[in-house]
Amino acid sequence: MSSDFIRKVFGRSNDSKEVAKKRLKLALIYDKLEISNDILSNLQDDMVTVISRYFEIDRAAFKIDIHHAEDASALVVNTPIKAAKHSKH
Amino acid sequence: MEGTNIVITSGKGGVGKTTATASIGAALALTGKKVAVVDMDIGLRNLDVVMGLENRIVFNVIDVIKKKCKLKQASIRDRRVENLYLIPASQSDNKDAVNTQEIIEFAKILRKEFDISLIDCPAGIEKGFENSVVAADEAIVICTPEVSSVRDADRVIGLLLARSITPKLLINRIIPKMVARGDMLSHEDMVEVLSIELLGLVEMDDKVVVSTNTGVPLVLQRNSNAGEAFHRIAARLNGQNVPPIQVPRYRRGLFRKLRSFLGFIG
Repeated sequence: MSSDFIRKVFGRSNDSKEVAKKRLKLALIYDKLEISNDILSNLQDDMVTVISRYFEIDRAAFKIDIHHAEDASALVVNTPIKAAKHSKH
Repeated sequence: MEGTNIVITSGKGGVGKTTATASIGAALALTGKKVAVVDMDIGLRNLDVVMGLENRIVFNVIDVIKKKCKLKQASIRDRRVENLYLIPASQSDNKDAVNTQEIIEFAKILRKEFDISLIDCPAGIEKGFENSVVAADEAIVICTPEVSSVRDADRVIGLLLARSITPKLLINRIIPKMVARGDMLSHEDMVEVLSIELLGLVEMDDKVVVSTNTGVPLVLQRNSNAGEAFHRIAARLNGQNVPPIQVPRYRRGLFRKLRSFLGFIG
């Protein structure tokens, strides 16, 4: 029996190009989520500066990371605080 | 009027940038435009052999950029195609030999001298890519229907957009038979994934190899589907009579057509 016929009856889900397209779409999404270490470290410096205006923090313990899960990605920032700063306006 | 500099790029190597540059350049020149094809693949020059002009190199693009010679001295006139000039790459310098300001100056001279300058960009997204893009007003991204090529094209498109250049897509080496049976990404699939404007479709063609073997421009070969496609792409770039994009079709034999039509007969 011709493969054309099988394809007509069962749809085109076996096409390897459909696999290619799905894989590509996913790969491109992940590629765009990547951020260089330089940028991440710049972000860390900026965040430390901003947070330090409001809290006394332990700079050495400040952690910044990007977590990738199945369907979402998150920027995770973790910092112990030593004390709150009370502004004297 | 000032000319236009168009960079031809892809990210991935071996997808047909150099052949496309030579072919579109020749096709544009045949329409009457004064065209330069510029090889920016410093250290790995190839546009000269593809065009059959490798024996006539005296000065190269680095000499022009470094002002060691005039643009005219480095422009090799193609004797078969009127108005077509090659500015070859340097084979001995490396990619760091020039700086951005020098390239911007070079780009200005190109615009003055030629209607259209096609810049053949090296593979990759490092210095050589940066140098080629700095000189460009517009961009053509070449991509073949393979996942690796599409992924790299996406990366390059992103880099071009970040520099305020909206590139157009040229899909190369389409095998219509494989597209028909669902084993190759179609141009619709690729446009959907990359979401940029389509410039043209070029199918896989043995004549491309024959053309590079002999150094005879593809667009001068008879009965070349790829050559015809490059003619249409050049016309579209020119804005002349803008022919619609032609999709390469798989021509099946009468018997197979009949069988497919009847469907159930093995």
